Amino acid sequence: MRDAFSRCHPVVNFTYFTAVLLFSMFFMHPVFLGISLAASMVYAIWLNGGRAIRFQFLYMLPMLLLVALINPAFNHEGMTILVYVNDNPITLESIVYGVASAVMFVSVVIWFSCYNAVMTSDKFIYLFGRVIPALSLILSMVLRFVPKFKAQARVISNAQKCIGRDVSNGNLWTRARNGVKILSILVTWALENAIETADSMRSRGYGLKGRTSFSHYRFGQRDKLLLTTLGLLIFCVLAGALLQENSIQYFPYIKINAATARSVLVYTAYFLLCMLPVGLNIWEEWTWRRLYSKL
Amino acid sequence: MASLIFEALSFAYPQAQRRALNEVSLTIGNGEFAVLCGRSGCGKSTLLRHCKTVLTPHGRRKGRVLFGGVPLDKVSFRDQSEKIGFVLQNPDNQIVTDKVWHELAFGLESLGMDQKTIRLRVAEMASFFGIQKWFMKNVSELSGGQKQLLNLASIMAMQPELLILDEPTSQLDPIAASEFLETVKKINRELGTTVLLTEHRLEEAFPMADRVIVMEEGAVIADGEPSTVGDMLKEASHDLFCAMPAAMQIYAQVDGPAPCPLTVRDGRRFLSSLWPENPPAFRRIAVPEAEGNGSAAVEIKEAWFRYEKDGADVVKGLNLAIPEGCFYAIVGGNGTGKTTTIHLMSGILRPYRGKIRLFGKEIQKYRDNELFTNLLGVLPQNPQALFVKKTVRLDLLEMLSREKGSKEEKEKRILEAARQVDMEGLLERHPYDLSGGEQQRAALAKVLLLKPRILLMDEPTKGLDNAFKDKLAGILNRLKAGGTTIVMVSHDIEFCARYAGRCAMFFDGSVVTEDTPNRFFSGNSFYTTSANRMSRHLFENAVTVEDVITLCRQNQNQAANA
Repeated sequence: MRDAFSRCHPVVNFTYFTAVLLFSMFFMHPVFLGISLAASMVYAIWLNGGRAIRFQFLYMLPMLLLVALINPAFNHEGMTILVYVNDNPITLESIVYGVASAVMFVSVVIWFSCYNAVMTSDKFIYLFGRVIPALSLILSMVLRFVPKFKAQARVISNAQKCIGRDVSNGNLWTRARNGVKILSILVTWALENAIETADSMRSRGYGLKGRTSFSHYRFGQRDKLLLTTLGLLIFCVLAGALLQENSIQYFPYIKINAATARSVLVYTAYFLLCMLPVGLNIWEEWTWRRLYSKL
Repeated sequence: MASLIFEALSFAYPQAQRRALNEVSLTIGNGEFAVLCGRSGCGKSTLLRHCKTVLTPHGRRKGRVLFGGVPLDKVSFRDQSEKIGFVLQNPDNQIVTDKVWHELAFGLESLGMDQKTIRLRVAEMASFFGIQKWFMKNVSELSGGQKQLLNLASIMAMQPELLILDEPTSQLDPIAASEFLETVKKINRELGTTVLLTEHRLEEAFPMADRVIVMEEGAVIADGEPSTVGDMLKEASHDLFCAMPAAMQIYAQVDGPAPCPLTVRDGRRFLSSLWPENPPAFRRIAVPEAEGNGSAAVEIKEAWFRYEKDGADVVKGLNLAIPEGCFYAIVGGNGTGKTTTIHLMSGILRPYRGKIRLFGKEIQKYRDNELFTNLLGVLPQNPQALFVKKTVRLDLLEMLSREKGSKEEKEKRILEAARQVDMEGLLERHPYDLSGGEQQRAALAKVLLLKPRILLMDEPTKGLDNAFKDKLAGILNRLKAGGTTIVMVSHDIEFCARYAGRCAMFFDGSVVTEDTPNRFFSGNSFYTTSANRMSRHLFENAVTVEDVITLCRQNQNQAANA
């Protein structure tokens, strides 16, 4: 993967996504929403390329419009009445609120798509393994068994098909019965084979006291730096939140704090926080080019 | 110094009359490479499992096992985990975690080592075994051979003194198997690890071994250097010989100079020494008529197949005609499309171009019911995919559940199917309690109840020892005599050479050449039986061990008469 942020330590990844997701969910201030949406889109495109653009236009744009339209249709609060539809008032406030919550919703979805691309299963396992060591092994085993079961289910289904007893043979009732039978074979097979897995585990000393958990991640100098930066930025944004820099009132009328120098500072902090992975990528690209041109 | 000592070890499983191990006394020296062989069920695995307390089965036991001079039950669990490595048969079941690197570290994590040590050990092992390239992969992406190599590596990471392997290559194809055995040899030679191995593939294991131990019915019947064991068995004219390497089998049946040859090279020299001056008089063996000249039971015309739209073609313009009543074997390397072809013939997959006809009618035109009753029988590679009931009898009865007919009638048909596969005595057993070969025969009985006219089999000899293979061949021959067409995909060249009616070689998605086994294998120079490779400088068309032996005797008799 060409994403530099994905190569950072899982703790950095996880801290970043937790912060960004929570902030995106709870800050309804238009500036914050705009920053979050823009940053999420840029990062998603960086990570997934054309696929992300297609996803955003095909699914996210219609969803955004839908959520933005649904709210004024059902929510009639607000002072500024624009028009009456079937005796129901459509208010400016509810339209604005609809757009805002649509943006919030869409940016959270896009953030999650980025999260999925960056936080692979082994990173997740590693993080939770540090909290609960036994859990990390269980998760890893589950991830091992799911593809194994799927493959075996296919083998069994093919074998049963060849004696005319698959879920694709016969009428509905027979199909259901065949399906249950395949499941029963799969379970028997799994239990039988688990005995050998247990042997393999015990013969490699599973159950000894003081089991450790190995990972190939290293917390380097850059991770330290990134985590500190993240901490500072999060602190700034939270401080801004305490000082009401992000608060907005939608009903019955829209009330928003005037932008001051201090609020610009908070906006900047939030922007930097959201753009951190993209910034890191740009910086890496730039150093690479510089080194390369010198050669 | 002795690494492992068995002192008059006897063992019986609970409720079993017969002892699984009978007064076994053995001493395995440090750094020795010992191969343990014998029929299925002779107690090899039971003996191996006694080398590690956590794997030891329950039952009545006498005698004791010493590891490094200390009784095994006095050696702590930690020491046993670290110093005795155990590789089991099935590559898939031994893998615990989802990533290659995690699997390598598993044992070291159990031992409670710190990050730094684990990192070093894992790096060492990955380099030694050449795993770096797939180090970060998911284990589900690996081939069977790679999986077994990973199992070995993850055990070697713990740096054991003793390595025990229980038929580690039985589920692998020949190329992966010899690669695996080479690695075991490398471990023994370069690290000095003591190796105790059980194997069916003696052709390759014998030349590596310092020592061969032969077991029968729970007792050791021969023990010594490979060639000495050959002589011992020859004197006893023991029927276990059919499991020995081809060179040893020929040596046992033909009068000639000692020592007993082990490899193809030795066998070649041995045969050459029989006729030092003139070449032998008889150079050709009489070959039976080519079988199956009837109409085609299975006909494939210009079939093309790929799994994904954008993927590579797996089957490419395949043309194949399998005559009715023929035992047809398809051989060839891994990933050439053999198994896919079987799936095409069974209708599980459909070609995107070309036609497949069964008895002249296109396969798509058959209804499911017609296709899988009285027409097509498919024996899956893993027989466990068929078993649904508690006993073999109930399982067979289940196959008839949709048919009309009285209970007695069905009972009769079950008994007949069981007789066809020599399983009458095992009807009340649980299918999972049967050995590999028996499970396969039970599955075959199930398939036979549908009275197939064409029987398709994918690697039926995988993991079977020679006695079971012979038994399977007997059953197949009977079926063939009854008019069933048999199509088999196999890696087992020796089996195909001996029993098949026709052989086809698969390469790159289609059949390269096709002939009777005799002409097929005597025409190939690498992809052929070891008996043929051993004798091709003397005989023109000796393919099986029996061929070579017959020709040798003919020539020797003639020389004696002259």
